[in-house]
Amino acid sequence: MRTRSWSSKPNGWDALVVLAVIALALGSALAVWGGGGESGEALTAVVIIDGKEADRFSPADLLEGPRTYSNGSYTLEAAYGLRGAESAPLDHEPPSGEAGVRVAWADCPTQDCVRTGLITRSGQSIVCLPGRIIIRLEGGAPDGGIVDAVVG
Amino acid sequence: MRLTTKQLTLCAVLTALALALSYLENLFPLALAIPIPGVKLGLANIVTVFALYALGAFQALMILFARCLLGGMFAGNMNALLFSLLGGAAAMLAMIGLVRLGRCSVYGVSIGGAAAHNCGQIAAAVLTLGSTAPLYYLPVLLAVSLAAGALTGLAAACLFQALDHTNLRIS
Repeated sequence: MRTRSWSSKPNGWDALVVLAVIALALGSALAVWGGGGESGEALTAVVIIDGKEADRFSPADLLEGPRTYSNGSYTLEAAYGLRGAESAPLDHEPPSGEAGVRVAWADCPTQDCVRTGLITRSGQSIVCLPGRIIIRLEGGAPDGGIVDAVVG
Repeated sequence: MRLTTKQLTLCAVLTALALALSYLENLFPLALAIPIPGVKLGLANIVTVFALYALGAFQALMILFARCLLGGMFAGNMNALLFSLLGGAAAMLAMIGLVRLGRCSVYGVSIGGAAAHNCGQIAAAVLTLGSTAPLYYLPVLLAVSLAAGALTGLAAACLFQALDHTNLRIS
């Protein structure tokens, strides 16, 4: 078969491509992950639907009950979550950890938003592409990032 | 550009193969391990890399557009069309540039294409959602593209090696 000149032996130029991708990954990580530092404000979840802010709340507000958001034919349910609460507390101590938001349920086919799990830090987001819904955390973590909470 | 019947038929077969690989990919949902929208192995890129080397940029581009259009129609989702078009066009531009450079092996070309594909898809997500929130996923997607690009590069290299031992004349 006649193909254009090709090589299956990795060389230094391939290493340059790999280094360029790594540099881009690190650069973008610094730009998008490094900018969400403590702002002094309480951690706030912002819900954006179709590019417009639809709701804004503290993760603790979800203790009163999950919130449901719809766009088009897709619906998702945002619920409260506590990172670290998975380990069973001893002597009936209240579970402690980082408070955050997770998508407990969604009717979209991909379920990526549900699989994203719990987000607890400023700058993190849960994206529902089919429904064009974003839940994004803003502001610094309340109480230095670790809060105690009693669930249930 | 005028295509011979043989070239046109080969383009159609490769388009069908790319669509089949896209479907096959759903059996290995990488998103279960890395829960990020759009994360996948990019098996259809094996066809793009092969077409780029064996048939040239024009025919590879035609196969890519046909795959994106048919894939979007099958999915019944115009959003999916925008994602695959932007991702595919970015990947193709990067790979054409790297092939024309003539220095990289098929691995470098494939990794560069995979990284550009993810950048294109993030751009599509930013345009679709009207928010820069999807940029949050870019570092992870770029890291995944290193492994996914190397894998598709390996598959393409094996394909070239196997075909070099045949008398098959494609172009």
